[in-house]
Amino acid sequence: MEGLIAFWAASGIANFTAGQVFMMAVGALLLFLAIVKGFEPLLLLPIGFGAILANIPNGGFIDEGGLLFLAYHVGIETGVFPLLIFMGVGALTDFGALIANPKMLLLGAAAQFGIFATLIGAIALNWVPGFEFSMKDAGAIAIIGGADGPTAIFLASKLAPELLGAIAVAAYSYMALVPLIQPPIMRLLTTESERQIKMEQLREVSKKEKIIFPLMVLGLTILFLPAATPLVGMFCLGNLMRESGVVDRLSNTAQNELINIVTIFLGLAVGSKLSADKFLQLETLGILVLGAIAFAIGTATGVLMAKLMNKLSGGKINPLIGAAGVSAVPMAARVVNKVGLEANQHNYLLMHAMGPNVAGVLGSAVAAGVLIAVLG
Amino acid sequence: MNSISEQITQAVGIMFLGMGLVFVFLIMLILCIKLVAMKFAPLPQDKPTRTPDNEISQTGRVDPKIVAVITVAIQQYRAKA
Repeated sequence: MEGLIAFWAASGIANFTAGQVFMMAVGALLLFLAIVKGFEPLLLLPIGFGAILANIPNGGFIDEGGLLFLAYHVGIETGVFPLLIFMGVGALTDFGALIANPKMLLLGAAAQFGIFATLIGAIALNWVPGFEFSMKDAGAIAIIGGADGPTAIFLASKLAPELLGAIAVAAYSYMALVPLIQPPIMRLLTTESERQIKMEQLREVSKKEKIIFPLMVLGLTILFLPAATPLVGMFCLGNLMRESGVVDRLSNTAQNELINIVTIFLGLAVGSKLSADKFLQLETLGILVLGAIAFAIGTATGVLMAKLMNKLSGGKINPLIGAAGVSAVPMAARVVNKVGLEANQHNYLLMHAMGPNVAGVLGSAVAAGVLIAVLG
Repeated sequence: MNSISEQITQAVGIMFLGMGLVFVFLIMLILCIKLVAMKFAPLPQDKPTRTPDNEISQTGRVDPKIVAVITVAIQQYRAKA
């Protein structure tokens, strides 16, 4: 009989708290979104499963020595996982469209306004009773507007580790929701005739230009923004491996096996931050709202900048491509292409949108570097 | 603890500084890309030149001499077999 009581006392049913059940339901929701809806499945699936594991009573996954604890401790607290992912993203990214039309970098810069506007929003939220975001917290929340998962995790682990779970979940959820969030903003800010603008075909880019590009980006970062070198440096390493053409084996590993392995553990570790006691707080709600605002503002300023460039260039730039400046590669560029096709069935904007899209990755990495340099 | 309005002033400062730096950084990158492009961009007239072989395949006509050579070769091969 005593054995039975001991067994009951150690069972899940006897130990559940309401919060844990709720967070498991959140984990299940993330799994549903990943499997049925196909929203960012590569990340939401491990994150959702991690959320379930982290809330198992007496499971011990997030206690010291547990698997999720270790994954978080080794990979995220140190900032290693997001950097390895960034190397893989660098190896996956073709900068050809950007090198052919470097002006697109301006769109990638303009879309970062969402980040800095949200910085003010996060501080202003302190007027609401119950919120107490420090400047560092605000910076970490604001980076959600960069729509770049690894950058957001890297910055949050540096500035506000206790908010990391909410920030990572917000960042990846909004990236998954790009096809829902962006089009209304894009349609609101552009006219039908602007959406129909066809763009000139991009010039060809030589191999030398592609090899010099990552080295040049790295050089500029070293000179002006060393705080961004962890992110930009790994990104450039990945890209140089890709473009140099002499280390195809390394390039393949970075963009396949390595990024996949890291993604599994990154997702689980982020999910582990969705434990009930940490996540079910008023602050989380604030972060989710601020993240959506950051995203919307970034999209809007990108489109507005593209409108300005369209005016200055005499009608050669389709303002829709500005929306791709928020990064979220390649989802944002696909959305631009889709909205463009709605206006004109023969207008394929995908290649043109890839320029601002990859510029957005650089832009948010630079913005993260600025935030680390100023706040860190 | 600073008052919230003071913090907001600080945040506005960071906003201008941050956007300024992002723009300056990326504009410098634009200039560098253009410099590199001046030196290394592929020339527009770099299209592959037409070789006589290409022309044959495009027009569909084959040099009669080549037809003769191939015919002889086939005959020799069949004779062997």
